Amino acid sequence: MKIVVASGKGGTGKSMFASSLSLLFSEEKRVVACDCDVDAPNLGLWLGVTSYDIVEPISTSEKAEIDDGKCTGCGRCFENCSFGAIEKADSKFIVNPLLCEGCGVCRIVCPAEAVKIKPVANGEIRIKETVWGFPLVSGQLKPGETGSGKIVQELKKRAERMAHDVMILDAAAGIGCPVISSVTGCDYAVLVAEPTPSGFSDLERILRIVNHFGIPYGIVLNKWDINPDVSRKMMEWSGEKFLGKISYDREVINSIVNLKPVIMSESKVKGEIEDIFSRIRELVSTML
Amino acid sequence: MRLKGIRGEGGAVRLVASTGGKGGTGKSTFAVLYALSLSKKGRKVLLCDCDVECPNDHLLLGVKLQKGKFIYRDFPRLNAEKCVRCGLCSKACKENAIFWVKGKPPMIFDELCSGCGACWTVCPQKAIEREKKPVGEIFETRVDRNLWLITGMSKPGISETGPVVRDVKKRALELAEDVGVDILIVDTAPGTHCNVIQALLGCDKAYVVTEPTPLGAHDASLILELLKIMGISSEIVLNKADVGKESVIEEIAESYGVRITVKIPYSEELVRAYSEGRLGRMVNLL
Repeated sequence: MKIVVASGKGGTGKSMFASSLSLLFSEEKRVVACDCDVDAPNLGLWLGVTSYDIVEPISTSEKAEIDDGKCTGCGRCFENCSFGAIEKADSKFIVNPLLCEGCGVCRIVCPAEAVKIKPVANGEIRIKETVWGFPLVSGQLKPGETGSGKIVQELKKRAERMAHDVMILDAAAGIGCPVISSVTGCDYAVLVAEPTPSGFSDLERILRIVNHFGIPYGIVLNKWDINPDVSRKMMEWSGEKFLGKISYDREVINSIVNLKPVIMSESKVKGEIEDIFSRIRELVSTML
Repeated sequence: MRLKGIRGEGGAVRLVASTGGKGGTGKSTFAVLYALSLSKKGRKVLLCDCDVECPNDHLLLGVKLQKGKFIYRDFPRLNAEKCVRCGLCSKACKENAIFWVKGKPPMIFDELCSGCGACWTVCPQKAIEREKKPVGEIFETRVDRNLWLITGMSKPGISETGPVVRDVKKRALELAEDVGVDILIVDTAPGTHCNVIQALLGCDKAYVVTEPTPLGAHDASLILELLKIMGISSEIVLNKADVGKESVIEEIAESYGVRITVKIPYSEELVRAYSEGRLGRMVNLL
């Protein structure tokens, strides 16, 4: 089964919680951890991983290239590009690779056959057998490249092939393409929120995505004590979906500075996370 | 390689970005404080919230968004009467958003569609028509005498948010010209992919907001790499400067040849002001 940890807002504690969940499940089940935040992959660091056993280049994106010699300067590519990726250069046209999505519309409309669509090595897949006894599948989108959603799909395929009972997926911030790719096909979603107006607003937005796919979910409130009033409101709003709350503790920051998983530390959040884990395990037990 | 972005349309308005790679480091906090402090000094400022998937600047400023203006994009709609079931649209679609079985009309899945138009461009029968659908909204708020806010908000379920950012910025540049602002501050989403690239295009300078942890260092190096590729000069803003280990950021700063120019210490008062949507109280922090 697949459990995705998501939040909408960044920095609410997704990777911290996903790493804890992986470690706790691994005590009784075969786990594979999958870091689906290919823009800013941090799950490895929360598991103390700083080097990988396998690092492979991956190509999930294509980009257009205009042959200067063949281009007649008619501008049809420029007019038809939905991403504003074609720019005029003197009397001809060039592709801005930062904006090109490789959709191929320019190639289709070019009467001079001046456009070629070429594959691009846009990222990496990284795999590590962690010291905790379960594998981590991670990835990285090269800065300046596109196709993060498709890298996520590849990572999930890789993780799927590893022997496991539970896959823990750590999603990126936001609600766009890479997050939709992460959430698709999951059996349960843990939404990690913080008690601020931003945290509340972004929770509502990620929930629209989770509900769109009809995925059962629960809500975790992290750093609840930075604003107990907003926390109370969010707990009431969450109702039966509320899984539990985690305190703000500077020990959590020390633990990441020392690259030590939070639930291996002396932080008071350890017990709180274990309680939430018990609830999740109970909720998903029928799916296992 | 020539990279222009939309600076040409922006004329002389100075564009400064607040970005950072990692989420939750304080990008929006810095952008809002920076906008407030400049406007308080009498400069005319436009703050543009380009984190369209999760926009929060208005919540930090404690302002209510009024009625927005929809942003539309064209999506494919099959005209089954004209369709000859050739399957060319399905073959042209790189997003696998068009499912086709020989002899049947294709099925289009909107949630996978990027709106690129390959299908209607390639269709020999013009059987795929364009249908305008809302992909987001733009909100304009006059915060005070010298401060304007433009908020972009994508529609949940829309996968490609880069084009939404592009439209939001276009409107921001128009407004910046109309009211004659001195500076346009662009607040980006976390990460480094297309929505962030769109937000950074044409910026004269970027502040990389990060925190002194291995996570902050790792993600800051990724965004600094992107900024280098884009040729945008950058400075580092170290938030929660006294929590964690500053040397990890100093190392990154040195390797990219950028300076840490702003340090914001951890403050419970700031956290409270943030969580109450009253960041204006903390304007003297910068």
